[in-house]
Amino acid sequence: MARAVTTQRKVLNTTIAWIIGLVIFFPILWTILTSFKTEAEAIANPPLFLNFDWTLENYAVVQERSNYMRFLWNSVIIAGGSTLLGILIAVPAAWSMAFVPSKRTKDILLWMLSTKMLPAVGVLYPIYLICIELGVLDNRLALVVILMLINLPIIVWMLYTYFREIPGEILEAARMDGASLKEEILYILTPMAVPGIASTVLLNFILAWNEAFWTLNLTAVDAAPLTAFIASYSSPEGLFFAKLSAASTMAIAPILILGWFSQKQLVRGLTFGAVK
Amino acid sequence: MQWLERHVPKLVLAPSFIAALLFVYGFIGWTAWVSFTRSRLLPNYDLVGTIQYERLFASPRWEVALNNLFVFGVLFIGISMLLGLLLAIFLDQKIRTEGVLRTIYLYPMALSLIVTGTAWKWMLNPGLGLEAMVRGWGFEDFTFDWITDPDMAIYTVVIAGVWQASGFVMALFLAGLRSVDGEIIKAAQVDGIPTHRIYTAIIIPSMAPIFLSAFIVLSHLAIKSFDLVIALTGGGPGYATDLPATYMYAMAFSRGDIGQAASSAMVMMMIVFAIVVPYLYSELRAKND
Repeated sequence: MARAVTTQRKVLNTTIAWIIGLVIFFPILWTILTSFKTEAEAIANPPLFLNFDWTLENYAVVQERSNYMRFLWNSVIIAGGSTLLGILIAVPAAWSMAFVPSKRTKDILLWMLSTKMLPAVGVLYPIYLICIELGVLDNRLALVVILMLINLPIIVWMLYTYFREIPGEILEAARMDGASLKEEILYILTPMAVPGIASTVLLNFILAWNEAFWTLNLTAVDAAPLTAFIASYSSPEGLFFAKLSAASTMAIAPILILGWFSQKQLVRGLTFGAVK
Repeated sequence: MQWLERHVPKLVLAPSFIAALLFVYGFIGWTAWVSFTRSRLLPNYDLVGTIQYERLFASPRWEVALNNLFVFGVLFIGISMLLGLLLAIFLDQKIRTEGVLRTIYLYPMALSLIVTGTAWKWMLNPGLGLEAMVRGWGFEDFTFDWITDPDMAIYTVVIAGVWQASGFVMALFLAGLRSVDGEIIKAAQVDGIPTHRIYTAIIIPSMAPIFLSAFIVLSHLAIKSFDLVIALTGGGPGYATDLPATYMYAMAFSRGDIGQAASSAMVMMMIVFAIVVPYLYSELRAKND
């Protein structure tokens, strides 16, 4: 709602908005700060904010004890692999629905999206059994495929909303000039579709990176990504807040950075296209 | 070649369509079948009727899980929508650096709660976090030990859930606010209608579709909630914070009771269907008109 607001009011509002932002950001900030403390400082009472001896020890210790570079690497492979594979399958599908729509297009789209609404628990066990049967439990490639399938409806949906924004007239003009399907895709669609594909990649990477339900249930050691590692680290044998925070910070960092440099795409992606 | 060009659109759509359908609905069919068998540690395909559902609804643990889902769902959806709306109205006041702020408000949603749960565990820990901090400020009687109290622990799950989702709801509502026709608002302002009335009588009613989508998204998040509980309480103390998803998980993977897991999964599915199907149906009708 566009309204006239005085400068003074604006400064006040902006200040309040940043205070709210800080409150929302606090748990994340706290995790990052704690990762640089010693275990004693991490549970100090009263809590220490900035007045502690900054140390990188936690990162070294966690790496030494559990080799979390491997979990980080698994996260990268699983999130990256499932995103790439998903995009390869979804781009043609979204292209088809956006530019050659049929009567059934809307129905197909909504039914595909409906699968994402259903709780994953309903399909967990059969997939678990299939993984055992095929001997691919705790296997990175299997997770790449499963996460791709899980997120495919969202990828298709996102790409579809982007492709719909490409004006159809341009394609018609190209067809009039005798462009073949191949030329149409190569020279006209692709350049216009790249920004949308990039945002979809970002969203899906985030979703796959954060995935805990599937990774927790289908991995043990070899293929476990950071989320599964953190979940296992925090269980019974007492909490090591500083070390746990170091592992968590590693898992948070890529998303914070990606999100910061692609604010618009992050907002649009997480709201599934509602906010442009 | 001609044939190919004509059918390419359908051919390239097919893999996604088939994958989504078979992968989800096919396996749901399997789960449905198993929920009518005596499967224990291994699946067994002899149908025996509704015995698993009878066991399920006789289980006190399942009752706790359903109760928790209700309490959590109502509070989580209600508070997230309210805070999200307030944040959106506030952020719509021509705030400088709005783009950056929107990103910060959305960060909790962009991060896995498994990961941000680390800080939450610290904050909710009576000896370390908020309780210790406030006591350190001189309020010696302050207590905040919900996470260790079986009656209150579920509310800590609500708090973390609201923290995660409010920014997301804010972004949805912000889009809604921006899509309201500015001319109508100007006309109302010229007529001297006070701002709060403009919001309650014009802007909010015209955002009804956004409220509906936000409700659908939040309710399916609530029913699917798994990370939240695993990250914060692991279902404890005891099974006080179990939700249907964690119940199913416990049955399938630590109790070796596939029949119970399958029947609880089916009940969850039916709850989702009850909410989502009417919505999809109305969407379909609206779009086809």
